[in-house]
Amino acid sequence: MSNSNPNNGGLEALHRLKSTEPPLFLAPSPDLSQAARLASKYVFSLLQPHCPKSPFDNLLVDEFDAEQIWQRIDIQSQPLVSNLRRELNKFEKNPELVSKGFDRFKDEKKTQEREIEEQYDEMDGYYDDDGDKMDGLDDEEEMDGLDEGEDDDDDEEEEEEEEEEKGRIAGIEDRFLKVKELEEFLEDGEARGYGLQKKKGNRKVDKKKKSEGSDEEDEEEGEDDEDDAEDEDEDEDEELGDLGFSDDDDEGLDKLGNARLMLWTRLVRGDKAKIVVDCCYFGIIMIEEKGFKSKSKPIKESEDSDFGNDEGSGSMHEEILSTHEREHMRHQSDIEQMEKVNLEPKTWTMQGEVTAAKRPKNSALEVDLDFEHNIRPAPVITEEVTATLEEIIQKRILEGRFDDVQKPATLPSKAPREYKEMDENKSKKGLAEVYEEEYVQKTDPASAPLTFSDEQKEASMLFKTLCLKLDALSHFHFAPKPVIEDMSIQANVPALALEEIAPVAISDAAILAPEEIFAGKGDIKEEAELTQEERKRRRANKKRKFKAETAKRIANKAQTTIWAKLRIIVKSTAYMSSINKKNPLTTEAAASLLPPDNMPAKTPITAAVPQLTVPGNLVLP
Amino acid sequence: MEPQASRLMEVEATNPVNLPSKPNFEPLKAHEISDGRVQFRKVSVPPHRYTPLKKAWMDIYTPIYEQMKIDIRMNLKGRKVELKTRADTPDISNLQKCADFVHAFMLGFDVIDAIALLRMDELYVESFEIKDVKTLRGEHLSRAIGRLSGKGGKTKFAIENSTKTRIVIADTKIHILGSFANIKIARDSLCSLILGSPAGKVYSKLRAVTARLAERF
Repeated sequence: MSNSNPNNGGLEALHRLKSTEPPLFLAPSPDLSQAARLASKYVFSLLQPHCPKSPFDNLLVDEFDAEQIWQRIDIQSQPLVSNLRRELNKFEKNPELVSKGFDRFKDEKKTQEREIEEQYDEMDGYYDDDGDKMDGLDDEEEMDGLDEGEDDDDDEEEEEEEEEEKGRIAGIEDRFLKVKELEEFLEDGEARGYGLQKKKGNRKVDKKKKSEGSDEEDEEEGEDDEDDAEDEDEDEDEELGDLGFSDDDDEGLDKLGNARLMLWTRLVRGDKAKIVVDCCYFGIIMIEEKGFKSKSKPIKESEDSDFGNDEGSGSMHEEILSTHEREHMRHQSDIEQMEKVNLEPKTWTMQGEVTAAKRPKNSALEVDLDFEHNIRPAPVITEEVTATLEEIIQKRILEGRFDDVQKPATLPSKAPREYKEMDENKSKKGLAEVYEEEYVQKTDPASAPLTFSDEQKEASMLFKTLCLKLDALSHFHFAPKPVIEDMSIQANVPALALEEIAPVAISDAAILAPEEIFAGKGDIKEEAELTQEERKRRRANKKRKFKAETAKRIANKAQTTIWAKLRIIVKSTAYMSSINKKNPLTTEAAASLLPPDNMPAKTPITAAVPQLTVPGNLVLP
Repeated sequence: MEPQASRLMEVEATNPVNLPSKPNFEPLKAHEISDGRVQFRKVSVPPHRYTPLKKAWMDIYTPIYEQMKIDIRMNLKGRKVELKTRADTPDISNLQKCADFVHAFMLGFDVIDAIALLRMDELYVESFEIKDVKTLRGEHLSRAIGRLSGKGGKTKFAIENSTKTRIVIADTKIHILGSFANIKIARDSLCSLILGSPAGKVYSKLRAVTARLAERF
């Protein structure tokens, strides 16, 4: 056969794959991939005759991608898996059929059942699988909720019933339709679907196997094919026998390790049904919610896939519930589940205000929190932003348009008020004139004389205005009129006079404002109005000022005295020198001064010029 | 009854009384007030004012004789200035005003200052002595007088200018010419100077007071 050589190679490859440690599969290795390809090719070719719709004759692995190979395997195996599932259900119901031999199944039953099962599968396939799941589940501690009741007992009972009813209906039946089987199937599905609890279940082991199954699903599919290939050749009894394998010690062993072991042994022996179920289990469990508690009893390994081993759960099926009652029961279970959830404390995300102490550590990192950001986010400085800024700067520099702060021209806030200083000179006006002016101001404001007496000021003002006009005429550039200090002649008419007489020529605007007459600076309060503290404060201020002034004055004086004394010294020395120059001593005088010794008289004796020494007692300050 | 009433009415009707018109008197002249008698005032001249009087005689004489219509003459022997009403003196108070004017001149005021007395009614002359304020002797007195005047008279002028008065310091006597309120202010300043306060203090007070005076109306 063309397959023989590849067969050997394929088997060998399979063995090798099996012997390698699973972690090695995680790292890509051409060796293993080659082996895997060979194995898949082998298995594919084995399965090929049994697949009804297989499009390929053999799997070409040489130059193709893993994805492409897988696609092909998938195409072949998809209908095959469903086929096998149906067959398993069949076997579950009729274990004796298994023993009767494959030939019948191969030819007739296979096709018939397959078609029937297909129909049923499509109708209740979900529930069916569900039921399978339930058979395999357990309610150990870790499995809270994931475990479901198993319908192993169901199947056993059904088998019994089935045997009873076997002979009844023969009219409708033909190759394709067995009413009995139909009924049983329906009941089975319903029972599983409505959550009747089952007692059986070492589902834990099954769980582990399922988990294992999920991890190695890729391989399993390959192995599935292999198992499928070997299915036909295998004895169902053997399978059952396998199922009875190690059914007592599951709990004691390490479940995971056991599961693995079981999985591998099954693989070796081609326990395809187990694998398939595992896959189905896992897939279904992923889809379906928990909700069924089942009374736990460590299920025997054998019962995982043995749907025929129903023991005690048959009693539940005795009542035939109406649709409404079944609905009701379903709702009840839902309600119970929801109530249970509600009674438990909520997750921290559903609680209102949660401080850091109340939630697990770093849990806020895992949740998408929504904030209101009240601060404008800081601008991200990218290169473009910098580039735009620099562009603006360069443009501005070229234009010369710097946004400098310009000082506003200080305008005179108010007109310079007529400030009468304390005149310490004899007044030029006679008293009569003073009073005359006062009187005139009171009575006839229009004819009041000019308030500032200095004519020079007026002259300068006139000159300024003239100059301004000339400048405006002569310059090309427009210069706005500067605001000249308002030295307008303001007749300081007392407001009372205005109120009383109200001449037309002078309005209220002409008089000085009260602030202009007297600004509130300095000591406003008279001495009689002061409180004790204010008096003290004034005195203290004056003392301070006085002290400062005296200190300054003393300093000035000291300086002047120093200079004065220096001058005296200089003058005295100059005087002394001048004296000596004027009256030099003659020789005779000098001689007379000298003691009468025999000194030579001819030589002129220079006058003993008195040495100019600064007397020591002159103390320079 | 009726005939009585009618009689009354008749009486009124028949005798319309011609009420005399209201008499229209002209104001009495000074002469007539005193019933034709002439009034005199005599102002003695102190020796130190003799020469100034001689110098300023015409300035004194003219306004008195021309405007006040008062006769004025100087009695050299008695060293007095005599004033006499005329027939056409308009007001009896003119005499008194002239007398005050001359008296002010004798106290030591200038003519132009004293003329204000003639022109304004409300001006007065107040005199007091230093010893009225505080008993000072010897150097203290001299220093007080010096304080009053200030250096070159500046303190006195400062007071005069700010209070619109005229001050004459004659040894221990002080005379102030001005209106009543201004006299008061000047007197207060002078008294504080006499009592010993320095000039700066007086100035500051003066400034405050005059500012307040200025804003009074």
